[in-house]
Amino acid sequence: MPEETLLKVSHIDVFHGSFQALWDVSIEIKPGEIVAIIGANGSGKSTLLDTISGLVHPAKGNIEFEGKDISALEPFRIVNLGISQVPEGRRVFPDLTVLENLIIGSYNRKARSKSEQNLQRDYQLFPVLEERKSQLAKTLSGGEQQMLALGRGLMSDPSLIIIDEMSLGLAPILVNEMYKILREIRERGITILFVEQNVRKSLTEADRAYIMEAGRVVLSGNVAKLREEEKVKKAYFGT
Amino acid sequence: MAVRRNMKVTLPRLRGVLIPLIAVIVVLALFPVIGVSRIWLLYAFLFFTYLAMANMWNLLAGYSGLVSLCPAAFIGLAGYTLAIGTWFGFPWYLGIIAGGIVAAAFAVIISIPVFRLKGIYFAIGTLVLPEVLRFVFTIWAPIGEPVYGGGAGYTVKGVADVSQAQIYWLALAIGAASIFLMRYVLRSKLGSGLAAIRDNDSTAASCGINVFNLKLYSFVIAAFITGIAGAIFYLYQGYIEPVSAFSVRWLVIIMLATVIGGEGTEEGPVVGTIIVVFLYFTLARYAEISLIIQGSILIGIMLLAPQGIMGSLRKTRAYRSLLKLATRR
Amino acid sequence: MTVLVELSTPVVMGILLGGLYAVIALGLSLVFGVVKEINIAHGDLVILGSYFGYVAMTVLGIDPILSLIIGMPLLFGIGFAIQKYLLNRAFKISMDATLIIAFGLSLILQNAYQLIWTPMARGLTTPYALESFSAGPIHVPLVYLLDFAAAILVMLFIQQFLKRTYLGRAIRAAAQDRKTAHLMGINTDRVYAYTFAISMALAAVAGVFLGLTFSFTPISGMSFLIIALGVVVLGGLGSIVGTFVGGIAFGLAQTLGGYFFGVAAQMLVAYIMVLVVLAVIPRGIFGR
Repeated sequence: MPEETLLKVSHIDVFHGSFQALWDVSIEIKPGEIVAIIGANGSGKSTLLDTISGLVHPAKGNIEFEGKDISALEPFRIVNLGISQVPEGRRVFPDLTVLENLIIGSYNRKARSKSEQNLQRDYQLFPVLEERKSQLAKTLSGGEQQMLALGRGLMSDPSLIIIDEMSLGLAPILVNEMYKILREIRERGITILFVEQNVRKSLTEADRAYIMEAGRVVLSGNVAKLREEEKVKKAYFGT
Repeated sequence: MAVRRNMKVTLPRLRGVLIPLIAVIVVLALFPVIGVSRIWLLYAFLFFTYLAMANMWNLLAGYSGLVSLCPAAFIGLAGYTLAIGTWFGFPWYLGIIAGGIVAAAFAVIISIPVFRLKGIYFAIGTLVLPEVLRFVFTIWAPIGEPVYGGGAGYTVKGVADVSQAQIYWLALAIGAASIFLMRYVLRSKLGSGLAAIRDNDSTAASCGINVFNLKLYSFVIAAFITGIAGAIFYLYQGYIEPVSAFSVRWLVIIMLATVIGGEGTEEGPVVGTIIVVFLYFTLARYAEISLIIQGSILIGIMLLAPQGIMGSLRKTRAYRSLLKLATRR
Repeated sequence: MTVLVELSTPVVMGILLGGLYAVIALGLSLVFGVVKEINIAHGDLVILGSYFGYVAMTVLGIDPILSLIIGMPLLFGIGFAIQKYLLNRAFKISMDATLIIAFGLSLILQNAYQLIWTPMARGLTTPYALESFSAGPIHVPLVYLLDFAAAILVMLFIQQFLKRTYLGRAIRAAAQDRKTAHLMGINTDRVYAYTFAISMALAAVAGVFLGLTFSFTPISGMSFLIIALGVVVLGGLGSIVGTFVGGIAFGLAQTLGGYFFGVAAQMLVAYIMVLVVLAVIPRGIFGR
């Protein structure tokens, strides 16, 4: 398969009311990649993800997925096309059971027929979810909720899964677990875009990364290259 | 108020408007003296009365974030205070003031439970009040039984001693007072506090604004003025009975006037009330479908021009340049 | 001892009546909990169900309960249209816009009822509506039992629907977290339309049973709206069991109020209870 782009965000400006959150942001994701977006709080990372998912629409610029312009689409249509987001803070449905949370993930038409199949796959990746399948989601621990959120995101049968701040509030050992699972997910053919504050983790787990600051992309490229970049070293590693 | 997404609270310095405003009031005050026809006096009377009520509703809904569905409670209570007062020998002018005070006191009492309710729960709470009062006054007859009181209501005694001109001037007074009150309140500390509360309750609170107190002040002020306007109305009408006193039709008129004119704008209620009184008379022959018409207007305005006339006008360039002209020193 | 025996009838009646109130409130609770709208036209829409039953009975000669076979889908469709074309748009404007539009709708309905059916009180006076049922010292009108039975059926049905169907789960998800529901591929506009449609179908049922139990006029909607609001607030949003308990509480308040204070005061007691509930429990005892 030639190097075609899966997701292409071109020069978008995004506003929250009269406040400009994103300035001329462009990113590209190729199939099978793991791409990271790194930046501090307020750098616009979450806004970028929300824009890709259609929760917000760009005032300028456009977004293409598998060649189609999705900039003006409703969120549910974007999910139908194959982009799934695991939102920041997990956001599992607290008063639904684990199983119900997973099943609601396959709400869109395309995913419903493969629901049982994907459910089994999720149970394989996250055995604890099968154990706790009848429990209400709000009774789960932070790490379990993160697994549930990720599993739920996978239920919509996406080609691209976007994950917002997966390691927030999780113990390092759990974080490592989760990233191991991400690698497994990539093995199964799903492209991954994740947002992280943890710079070290991002630069080890991803193939490429974009670094954002105050709503702009300030640096991007191969992680090996980025690790060498003087600015990055100084800003994030202090040397 | 959420109807305006843009939070700009523009209060242009219209000091230049004060003189013309007073001139207009003087002219209006001369109407009964110069022999203006009775029907126009009636239009003007209703206009002033409804204007006071609409301004107060706007103060609550448009500026304080309190969508109050109980203006009828204040109106009816004040009207009954006036009427029953005259039965006990109180002169009508005392009765009117007492009516306002009773309405204000009622507002204070119910504010305790009702202000704990945020947003929609507040609306629900205020919805119930006129109904409860209607029940109470249908059963209660403190004097004048068995012919009067309860469901039959009361006449306002001594009405014959009050001239039409006097009633007209009373209405003019409360209408004008409501306009000046709005101008004053909105430019005061209370006004800016209310603007903050309207935007976001908890943020305002964390800025040190005593949310409960400010809401209480506007609620009580609104109750007082609305009550007085209501009492004046019943002085004019000469009798009061529970069904119409606490009827939802008060809310309909007031809401229409404010919404058509533009919630959260100062001129809105003026424009809206003119239109409402106009509609009231031109559509008098369609009285049996009046609610259908009014309901449709409410829905139509909300869908097509939620900011009302003044709100939409404000956005147009023509208005803005006009405003610049008017405020130039 | 005789006090207890004397009380037994109003108590039982109150509980049974509570079933009716629960059904009336359930539609409101659904819309309030999911779409976060207060539909103040709900009472008038329930009365629409009552008038529909009336038409079925007097014009078509069909038993009102049977007529629900037509009535429910009809009101379902109307509700879908109302939410889709009116209220969804209102919601995007502001919360207060939905209140005002619902208010406008309420006015239009009341006026329409008055025009078509006059202000005269109507009732669904089927033969069985006048029957009584006795068990020992307890005498209750048969319709009260029917109300309660209908309530149980409706509650069970809605509960299962919400639990087992994709749409039901989508409704519950959208109620808990609207933004994340979007991320699940849920078309919330459509889900809201279905929610409102379901609440209207419930209103149809509520309306028919209300008409069998009480007489109604064009302006009856307001009274039942107020009680329904009380039930919803007391029982807590999103809780079917809570709505049921709330309904019973209000049913009891009304019948016991009538027993102790006279028939004229029974609605007043219920109203005051609404105010008390609002003041004391803004979030409901079962709600989240």
